[in-house]
Amino acid sequence: MKLKHLGLMAGVALGAMGMAAPAMAQVTLKIWSIDGNDRVGIADTYSKEFDEANEDIVVEYRAIPFDDLVNETLRAFATGNAPDIVSFDNPDFALFSSRGAMLDITDRVAASEIIKPENYFEGPLNSVSWDGKLFGIPKYTDTIGVFYNKDLFAKAGITEPPKTWAEFTEYAEKLTDPANNVYGATFSARAGEEGTFQFLPIIQMSGGGYDNVNTEGAAAVLDLWKKMVDNGWASKDVLSLGQWDSTGTFNSGNAAMAISGPWEIDRMVEDAKFDWGVALLPTIEEGGDRSSALGGFDWGIMSTTKHPDEAFRALEYFAAQDGRIFEEFGNIPARSDIELPVTGVALKDAALVVFQEQLQYAQPRGPHPEWQKISKAIYDAMQAALTGQMSSKDALDQAQATIKGILG
Amino acid sequence: MSRFFNSMRDGVGFDLILVGAALLFLLVLAGLPLVYNVLMSFQQVDMFTLGSLFRPWAGFDNYVAVVQQPEFWLVTKNTLIFVFASMAGQFVLGFALAVFFAQNFPGAATIRGLFLVSWVMPGLVVGAIWSWILAGDFGVLNTILKALGLIDGTIFWKSDPAYSIWAVVIANIWLGLAFNMLLLSVGLAAIPRDLYEAAELDGANAFQRFWTITLPMMRSTIGAVLSLGLIGTLQQFDLFPAITEGGPANTSTVAGYWSWQMSFQLYDFAKGATISVMMFLLVLFASIIYVRSTRHEVRG
Repeated sequence: MKLKHLGLMAGVALGAMGMAAPAMAQVTLKIWSIDGNDRVGIADTYSKEFDEANEDIVVEYRAIPFDDLVNETLRAFATGNAPDIVSFDNPDFALFSSRGAMLDITDRVAASEIIKPENYFEGPLNSVSWDGKLFGIPKYTDTIGVFYNKDLFAKAGITEPPKTWAEFTEYAEKLTDPANNVYGATFSARAGEEGTFQFLPIIQMSGGGYDNVNTEGAAAVLDLWKKMVDNGWASKDVLSLGQWDSTGTFNSGNAAMAISGPWEIDRMVEDAKFDWGVALLPTIEEGGDRSSALGGFDWGIMSTTKHPDEAFRALEYFAAQDGRIFEEFGNIPARSDIELPVTGVALKDAALVVFQEQLQYAQPRGPHPEWQKISKAIYDAMQAALTGQMSSKDALDQAQATIKGILG
Repeated sequence: MSRFFNSMRDGVGFDLILVGAALLFLLVLAGLPLVYNVLMSFQQVDMFTLGSLFRPWAGFDNYVAVVQQPEFWLVTKNTLIFVFASMAGQFVLGFALAVFFAQNFPGAATIRGLFLVSWVMPGLVVGAIWSWILAGDFGVLNTILKALGLIDGTIFWKSDPAYSIWAVVIANIWLGLAFNMLLLSVGLAAIPRDLYEAAELDGANAFQRFWTITLPMMRSTIGAVLSLGLIGTLQQFDLFPAITEGGPANTSTVAGYWSWQMSFQLYDFAKGATISVMMFLLVLFASIIYVRSTRHEVRG
């Protein structure tokens, strides 16, 4: 609340300043993102800095809750009140870019001294591309891997983290200890984007993709997941827990392995009273194809903006600050030309090395304008199989039929 | 002219003004959105036409597409289970409590007042609390049931397809119980005492008094409680995102939540509108039954 008031006062003060200096033509940029709701984030900080550094530009920053961002922007766009710059979760970006709601910045980027497409990881860059054109730039990125409890591994006589899903399942069985309330593994197979986030990489590593989900490999791994849930090697609650809560059970020592991402690290360093490590997401066959989820947000300029030049200057400013985002906000830049600083916390530094390697295999969700429907088909299939309502193969076949209908 | 103004102040004109004001209110705040919603269910809606009234006509395409969704029949079944189980639970328990607190014992009125706490609480808060109570591995309810020796294993209320819809039903019964009890208490208080005294003198036992006096005298109250219960239950939304999010595998998705999901998670506004029109028809059907069943009382 306090922050909001401050922001409001700052806005009023700036407005007053604008009125006080009528001679100077000022441009107002509206920037929307989810940052700054509960804690200071990338978008609110940089917006303020950009505002202060530029006399000719006033930035009106608005923080919108995650769940409302897309709806609010859709409504604003439909009624002609869209912001100039907005920051979307990467699978939501194509909904806007594919329909001409985002400004094509291909030529501006080509002429830019600061933004260079070749510096970005391929996955995040794909999420802002549509039809061969560039509609935005990645803001930051993340991915998922396997956290494992080294103490429990040692106790069970396991020396290495699992390399394949079969091993993952085998270890989960060995590590399960009902007497001490320990499950072998935990993950998030929730009915929502998080569920797809964790399961789509398996479809991808089996040779499929969001447009080809009913692969044999994916069905086989889904069977393994079901085996873990059915036998109590993973809690049935993986079907309703989000990643943050699911990994919470790992931190409290109630699960020996957890699938989640680098956003867990800071809390884990605090909470986990045991030795832990991170491994790459297992593959289907040993030495088989790798994949992982691609998370993170993108920046884009909306096509309705009246100040494309100033808006692009803002994007350039944001991109120029990418080197700071890890230290200040704990986010990983989506760029290969930035080296992450060493924090001195051994567990954290070791984990980040693995996640940076994992990022090379991260693949985007979509991009597709109807991603949300495709995603629902995928997590519905995953849940139908895990609850035993359908066989893994049938569930994925049904999802494939639904997705085919969406892709047309 | 003065006759006209006279009739405005006292007469047919005054009546018309009153009726007109109420109708205008209904039309603007309920009628127009309803018509807009029905219209939207026959159109193609996307982000560019979101703000306009006239959009490409889709005929019954949206309706066909909704029925063809693989989860359609599951959602229908869940909606029926949710509505009838919630209403039955709320009504039976609410009636039992109302009759109980109608007895004169010390503190009856105070305790009855305390029951209203559940009604005052926002649905999301109730949902969050029940979400903890019903949690699988470390849930309060499971701990109690295990301590009592009623169950051996853990019941995953929120994650087991056999229980998920019931998890929301339990929370909803708790949420709506106080409202039912309150309305029924009012109805009970309106029954003249001397009827019971006369029946008692004639030798009617407690059950006979309930069956032949309480129930018939409460007829219109019960009708109102049940129809309001139906509407309230179909409207229930907060508990779903807070407890199960419609999962697992849509086994706790009901029509209202599905409609929201279509519009605001999948951004398919036309299908969301279509589902809500279908729900509206269901409520309309129930309302007609309710009005018909109480019609003779109005005439009586």
